[in-house]
Amino acid sequence: MIVENTGKVVLTLKDVSIDFPTSGGLVHAVRGLSLAIHEGRRVGFIGESGSGKTTTALAVMQMLAAPGFVSNGEIQLGDTDILKLNEEEMRKTRLRRVSYIPQGAMNSLNPVMRIENQIWDAIIAHEGNVPKAELKRRSDSCLESVGLPARTGRLYPHELSGGMKQRVCIALGVSLNPELIIADEPTSALDVVTQRHVMQTLKEVQSKIGSGLILIGHDMGLMAQSVDELAVLKDGELVEHGTVRQIIENPKHPYTKQLISSVPLVGGDSFLDDSIGAPPVNRSAGSEPLLEFDNVSKTYGDVTALHPMSFSLDGEVPKIISIVGQSGSGKSTMGGMMLGFTPPSTGRVMFEGADINRMNPSASLEFRKNVQAVFQDPYACFNPFYRVDHALKFPFKRFGLSQSENHTEEKMFEACTAVGLDPSQVLRRYPHQLSGGQRQRLIVARALMLSPKLLIADEPVSMVDASLRATILKNIYDLKDQYGISILYITHDLATAYHVSDYVIVLYHGHIAEAGPPKEVIGNPQHPYTQLLIDSIPWPDVNRSWGTSASADEDTRTLAELSRNTQTVFRGAVPGFDLTIPGRLENAA
Amino acid sequence: MTDTTQSSNQTGPTVDSAAAGVVDTSMASGRFNRFDNPWLNPKLIWGVCILGGILLLGVIGQFIWNTELVFTGSTPLKLPPFGFENLRRQEGLAEFPLGTDGAGRDLLALLIVGTPNTLMIGAVASLIGMSTGIFLGFSAGFIGGRVDDVIRIFSDVMITIPPLLILVVFQSAFGDVSLFMMAVLIAGFMWQSPTRLIRAQVLSMRESGYVKMAQLSGASTMHIMFREMMPNLIPYLFGSFIANVTTAIVTAVGLEVLGLGPQRIPTLGRIIYDAINSGALIQNLWWWWGLPTALLAIMFIALLLVNLGLDEVSNPRLRKM
Repeated sequence: MIVENTGKVVLTLKDVSIDFPTSGGLVHAVRGLSLAIHEGRRVGFIGESGSGKTTTALAVMQMLAAPGFVSNGEIQLGDTDILKLNEEEMRKTRLRRVSYIPQGAMNSLNPVMRIENQIWDAIIAHEGNVPKAELKRRSDSCLESVGLPARTGRLYPHELSGGMKQRVCIALGVSLNPELIIADEPTSALDVVTQRHVMQTLKEVQSKIGSGLILIGHDMGLMAQSVDELAVLKDGELVEHGTVRQIIENPKHPYTKQLISSVPLVGGDSFLDDSIGAPPVNRSAGSEPLLEFDNVSKTYGDVTALHPMSFSLDGEVPKIISIVGQSGSGKSTMGGMMLGFTPPSTGRVMFEGADINRMNPSASLEFRKNVQAVFQDPYACFNPFYRVDHALKFPFKRFGLSQSENHTEEKMFEACTAVGLDPSQVLRRYPHQLSGGQRQRLIVARALMLSPKLLIADEPVSMVDASLRATILKNIYDLKDQYGISILYITHDLATAYHVSDYVIVLYHGHIAEAGPPKEVIGNPQHPYTQLLIDSIPWPDVNRSWGTSASADEDTRTLAELSRNTQTVFRGAVPGFDLTIPGRLENAA
Repeated sequence: MTDTTQSSNQTGPTVDSAAAGVVDTSMASGRFNRFDNPWLNPKLIWGVCILGGILLLGVIGQFIWNTELVFTGSTPLKLPPFGFENLRRQEGLAEFPLGTDGAGRDLLALLIVGTPNTLMIGAVASLIGMSTGIFLGFSAGFIGGRVDDVIRIFSDVMITIPPLLILVVFQSAFGDVSLFMMAVLIAGFMWQSPTRLIRAQVLSMRESGYVKMAQLSGASTMHIMFREMMPNLIPYLFGSFIANVTTAIVTAVGLEVLGLGPQRIPTLGRIIYDAINSGALIQNLWWWWGLPTALLAIMFIALLLVNLGLDEVSNPRLRKM
């Protein structure tokens, strides 16, 4: 744990412990944490949800949520003992000396105030009356420092994109040149391209004003690309601390190793076990393709969510088809149409030759039995009123698969064991008593129990802690190999799509940008959009250059250009899956 | 790697989330549910006990007290409660412990018969109103489209009409009404806000993950509405029901005090109407109007406590540590 010391110390945490008294007893959120942050250094706090990283940051701001308190230790900001300050002194310290960019900061802007007024408010709160012209000059320079034009100040928050709002929050955070900036998952709600832009902006401003930076996050890749030092937290304890190079290249603690290995790499070793189990059973019914899109498009008013496309997937050999894209690219719309939740504006969605939007009740029940889904949010998928086994038992009985109560019970146990859960531990619990990872695995177990022919997995791991993602993806992958289930994997994460899929479709603004086998599309992208996406993925590799904010600006312009004119690049076909863009000459490569 | 995550996960969520779950609010509320039973809430217990006491007064009273005393002239006139004197220097008698009214009716007997009647009007009106609200709210929220438009506009229009004004007209047109008729009339103004609120709840729930999951499980519309959505609305429906009981009682008493209630059946509002009509205020016959008023006040406090208690049950954030 040797960290070279440069510059003076801006923040010292000495043996800090934070406790939360609850009706269930005292919860130790942070235990004996000691750390020093130097001027101009970027320190990453990494750990899973509940590891105490945000709690520590909030303690530095004296903003701990109600029952929590610092039970032990010292927090020194420069020469000031933070814990000894009263409310008024602390108010003056916040933003002036230490600023906090909260999680989802883009929602913390006041929607009825212009951007510049919000910056002025901050300045006036700390410096009293400042002449209008001076305020204007400072807010403009603030915005320019994060790469936004000065006229942004005259706009209201809703007129800005997510990435711009996040940069405004950074501008606010640095408006008084604080000694320390705390950024709590500043890019958690942004897609990779915007994430890179925002992180580069943050790095640049921080090095310009020379303050310390605490970056809180859970993504080892993002950390590797953005910080100098890394502090790994687990269950409120600091398990490893060192320079980012030390930690990534030579992790000591098993938990750190696990965090690093859980980041899937494009082209790297697969996290999947290649030993294929029993050969998949042929489950196709007749000669009709399993799923077919016939000239399908979707428009919402004037907005086209999905441009016309046709494809057919036969279930002969189970396959994983990945649909990749940023938020708003139309990938979830596609998923909704496949499940029959969203009727298409034109064209037909067919399952085994029948239009799924024109089915009689019994055919519809049969369709439901054969097409199941895993959704993004494992917290919302269980009815809080019932124990979790309700979600598994009910469909099993409803689809007439159950032979007896014992048979249902047996199948549930089998499915839970297959996804690595202990059935006697989880099944009789209520959803809030399980972690997100356990819930998501139960949903996979549910799919397994029903054994559908097709599974739509819509961002199945995006809300699960990093260390569990690989496990859950592996569970899903096993569905294909061992149970012969074809899977449509909808994701924004190209790296996982690279490993699990047989065919990849890259969507951009409802257009197909590039499509083909993953080794081609993701391994060697041809379309500028795919290239941009891949360049923007943060990798846990300190030597890789992640570009500068100028290059990111350039990329944003390229993107805007692309949204007007997207030519699909076909990168080869996979037997059993045909994709065509109607009304356009095929330019298959 | 896979092995380590699995085993760490299987050590049990209790350990996991006790050490963690500080940042995550959903985890925090989870901890609450595990350690205390939200239904054992002091406000709820007090409210239910007081309401139960008032009801017992009515039920047991019917057996131990002579309810024939509610008829005119069955007792001496204007006697004060036992232990007090009235302006005519008459002592209260133990036979009529709460005194008598201007027409010679025993006040205790009036309260014993009148209180359950008043509560009954409130409960029946609220029950009818809530049932209509649940039916319309679910239909509007779940079916949507034209049905939603009709129900929404109708309830929005109805909500703007002042109930008392219409009820006054109705009651005076009907003349003497029965208790049940009165409850039905009041219920006609009780269903709009539950309809709107349930519609909003259903709209947001319809998009939730578990409803989608139920759809995927091939659940019927009825199953989704009543087995998946409804249970989650129960604390809210209870709270809304209690609030509506309060409103219904206020409306009923208001009408009765104006002399527009049932003419032959004693209710708390009717007693107050008689008292005001006979100049009980000027003659300082405080027990005549004061006792039913106090009883009403206690009833409202109890209903409020129940409502606050239910609020805490359905909203864990309001609970104290």
